[in-house]
Amino acid sequence: MSRNEGYTGFTRGEARTRTASMTLESLKLSSKLGRMPWGIVLLIIAMALVGLLTLYSSAYTNPLEQNLWKLQGVRFGVTFVMMIGMALCPISLWMRLAFPAYLGTLVLLLLVDLVGVTGGGAQRWLQIGPVAVQPSEFAKLATTLALARYYQMVLPQTSDRLFIHIGALAIIAIPAQFIFRQPDFGTTLALVASGAVIIFLAGLMARVIITGIVAGIAAVPAIYWFVLEAYQRERVDTFLAGLFGTATNGLGESYQIEQGKIAIGAGGWNGKGFLQGIQSQQDYVPEQHTDFILTVIAEEFGFIGSVALLTGFAILVGWSFYSALQSRSWFGRFAACGGAATIAFYILFNVSMVIGLLPVVGMPLPLMSYGGTALLTTMACFGIILSAYIHRDEKLMASGFL
Amino acid sequence: MAGGADFETLFTRRMAIAAGVGGVAWTGLVARLFQLQVLEKDRYAAMAEENHIKLALAAPRRGRILDRFGRPLAAHRRAGRVSIIPEQTDDPQGVLRRISELIDIAPERLERAERDIHNARRRNAAFVPVTVQNELTYEDFARMNVHAAEIPGLDVEMALTRSYPRGRDFAHVLGYVARPNDRDMTRLEDFLLLEAGMNPERAYDSEMPSNSQERVELRRIRQLLKHPDFRTGRSGLELKADDWLRGQRGSKRLVTNAAGRTLEELPSDDLAPRDGRDMFITIDSDLQRAAIDRFGSESGASVVLDIESGDVLSMVSTPAFDPNEFVNGISSANYSLLRDNDRSPLYPRAHGGVYPPGSTFKMVVATAALEAGVINPSERVHCNGYYRFGNRTWHCWKKGGHGSVNMHQGIKGSCDVYFYEIAKRTGVDKIAEVARKFGYGDRWPLGMTGGRSGLVPDTEWKLRARNEKWHEGETLNFGIGQGQMGATPLQMAMMTARIASEGRPVKPRLVGLGPNVEGAHALDAPLDKALMQRMKAGMYGVTSEGGGTAYRSGDLGLGGPRLAGKTGTAQVRRISRAERLSGVRKGEDIDRKLRDHALFVAYAPADNPKYAISVVVEHGEGGSSTAAPVARDILAFAIKNDSGRKPSYSQTASVVTSPSQGEPT
Repeated sequence: MSRNEGYTGFTRGEARTRTASMTLESLKLSSKLGRMPWGIVLLIIAMALVGLLTLYSSAYTNPLEQNLWKLQGVRFGVTFVMMIGMALCPISLWMRLAFPAYLGTLVLLLLVDLVGVTGGGAQRWLQIGPVAVQPSEFAKLATTLALARYYQMVLPQTSDRLFIHIGALAIIAIPAQFIFRQPDFGTTLALVASGAVIIFLAGLMARVIITGIVAGIAAVPAIYWFVLEAYQRERVDTFLAGLFGTATNGLGESYQIEQGKIAIGAGGWNGKGFLQGIQSQQDYVPEQHTDFILTVIAEEFGFIGSVALLTGFAILVGWSFYSALQSRSWFGRFAACGGAATIAFYILFNVSMVIGLLPVVGMPLPLMSYGGTALLTTMACFGIILSAYIHRDEKLMASGFL
Repeated sequence: MAGGADFETLFTRRMAIAAGVGGVAWTGLVARLFQLQVLEKDRYAAMAEENHIKLALAAPRRGRILDRFGRPLAAHRRAGRVSIIPEQTDDPQGVLRRISELIDIAPERLERAERDIHNARRRNAAFVPVTVQNELTYEDFARMNVHAAEIPGLDVEMALTRSYPRGRDFAHVLGYVARPNDRDMTRLEDFLLLEAGMNPERAYDSEMPSNSQERVELRRIRQLLKHPDFRTGRSGLELKADDWLRGQRGSKRLVTNAAGRTLEELPSDDLAPRDGRDMFITIDSDLQRAAIDRFGSESGASVVLDIESGDVLSMVSTPAFDPNEFVNGISSANYSLLRDNDRSPLYPRAHGGVYPPGSTFKMVVATAALEAGVINPSERVHCNGYYRFGNRTWHCWKKGGHGSVNMHQGIKGSCDVYFYEIAKRTGVDKIAEVARKFGYGDRWPLGMTGGRSGLVPDTEWKLRARNEKWHEGETLNFGIGQGQMGATPLQMAMMTARIASEGRPVKPRLVGLGPNVEGAHALDAPLDKALMQRMKAGMYGVTSEGGGTAYRSGDLGLGGPRLAGKTGTAQVRRISRAERLSGVRKGEDIDRKLRDHALFVAYAPADNPKYAISVVVEHGEGGSSTAAPVARDILAFAIKNDSGRKPSYSQTASVVTSPSQGEPT
């Protein structure tokens, strides 16, 4: 059916979609692989390997956790294949899928709200047969793609009318309120933040932005008192106490953050060495294999190691934004920016939280933290970014829903 | 309508702003990392160290108590112990169940442990290990050790436990140790706070901030006092020398994980506790053993003194208890058995048992009479078996009487009539005065507990204690060491030593090298040398001349040296007229408990006195038949064994006179 032997891996439907909207000359698989930014792919692999080593270090003494790194390695292998697959799919495919995927995600979020499984105090999971899925994770990517698709549709007409940005805001707000109600503050924050970045890039007027920022600051007390749950307020209190030096050292709510800071600080310039961290090896920092994995890297590889890690992330994110500039389609640009922003906010929030610059929100460190869903989101984002880069010369015409 | 090109520019500008913001954010993160990891590195590194290295309290090893020749009397024994640290487990019942699956534990012990854990939690002392089982067998210890790692909150260790290798031999001298009870806690808390230079009132003041120096110190002291290895003296030398033996608490560095489980112990020599100081006592444990053996199944007491130095070479009170039973807390059932035993094993007879000295007191009466000048030694008194005074009759022990006796014969034959006469002439107050010169009526604690002073009656005492006038008839009883007069075996031995040394001062001493003894003093009231020689001659007569009451016991069986002594009988009750008439007052005919105590005091060798001894055989009936042979055999052993030879601590003997606060050597 398909005339492009390079697309044999695709479903019939996808191939038909593509065939139906032939606006560009198709790329051969070999030339796609040639356009693949292998340096970036290798950097992703390298950072994931560092993550696995760190995971091994954080948990190898604990018999219950000593195999986590292997499991995470398998997950990385699977999601890596997925990322390459997504990268090879034409960007037009992702554009066409954007709205249906967004709507599908909204349905799933609604289902979670109605019949979701409660885990860890929040209703986040949806049981579909044997698989438990977390629709809020899909929502990040789906919202990003939908925004890109939306701007692809409206931007050629105008960008200096406020109402087109209000449409974008609605695209963000609908899933955001579902996720916030689960409650999952971290994901909501990441979703809203990366959505806001896209709106900003799409040219929202400066006066609106400034007004929004002022209003946002003014709303902080109201959010603190009326929106946040008691446990979330406590975290903010703890954070503020730490920031202003009134923390009760090593006790109570601030224990995790204190121990994390001690681990980081104890690392010094060049760290204690692999598997040598005192705090890390003796389980002083809770959640050290997930959200607080940076403390292991910082303690065992020191300032040099942590800055190297942040540099690696900066290269990945910076390159992603750079690749967005290369794209000739608005969809490609915004999709790449959205993916990059999602990853960047993961990193920013996680690191800020671990080093005590933000209150504790559940936010993993991409490629490092143990956990499947975050890895899936991260790798999917990279897949979209790579796809936008490989297909940067495609010009897309948006028409209708698909 | 924004044109494509315009919008391109806007987008590029916005991208540049975003990149700038991202760069600022990145720089912020790196700056914060720089602050934490470079600028504040030392502080956090120290906190990480502090975090994983816990300073655990290390109890000092209690000082040993050694005998004259350095043989351990109170030492240590390694014993396995299983305890639970309540704060390290959520399920102490489960841990207890696991322990009882692995080793045999009595149900009472399990209940007690459960109660202790509950109490520890309530008192916020969940860090204090609660002992579940002491004295593990080697197999049990090994088994528990294997499983310790997998049971949280379980603590298995080899501990040093106080041990008394000579068991009962030194029970009344050494006393014993125990876990501090509430009274000990109060005493020790005050003492240790003062020792640390702190005011106890400030430490107990709950108004004071809990991190004040005094309250922190008090918490540490309590932690030490509750430490499972910590014991405090409860009686005897262990109590009186507690401060000398205790040592000072220290710490050990333990590497712990976040859950508090110890992973390893780091070198902590700089923080090590200062172990308690050893102390030496003057007793020869071989002589002590020989003396106890010689008593066999009899109850009684014996004290052997070195006449020259005043060293107590043996101090026996038998039967005794095994102090080892007290170290880990004696069960109330076992304690009741000891307490209610008719032979009173808890009773320290040698220095706390008060007996009428009986005829052993006659040298004191004779000395008093001579000092008072109321009789000439060669003056004869006629004894026909009884003595009339007022409208009453006093009997001599010898039916039919001794005939006419002078002082030497009076002592040798222990003629009661002679002493009734000279006591009457001397008067109660003079006899009492001389008795005190021999050490009677004074308490000689020598660093032990339970010592008593006995009683030397006189007119003033009678008036004060009974509000009655002294009757002269009582003086007659006093003259033969009966009546109100009460003396301890220690005092009797001291009297003998004073006589044997011909009146030289005697400073009795039990602590050879150790803390200063409260109230230690010499017995040095002047006694006339010629008088004492006369008493010695009398005592020699008792054992070595015809008519002596202990003629058969004079030979020590060492082919030469003899002993000189004096028999005595301490009346347990008044002899009734009916009994005296029927003659039934001896042997199997009356209940053991009503029989008289047999006494004997002696020194040897007779020609060059070295050792003085007193022996009391309770309900032993006759001084000559029961007590004298015991004394003879003990003295023979002391001479053979040369018990008084130079003690092993004498190289450092100068320390003995230094204050008890001195540094350990």
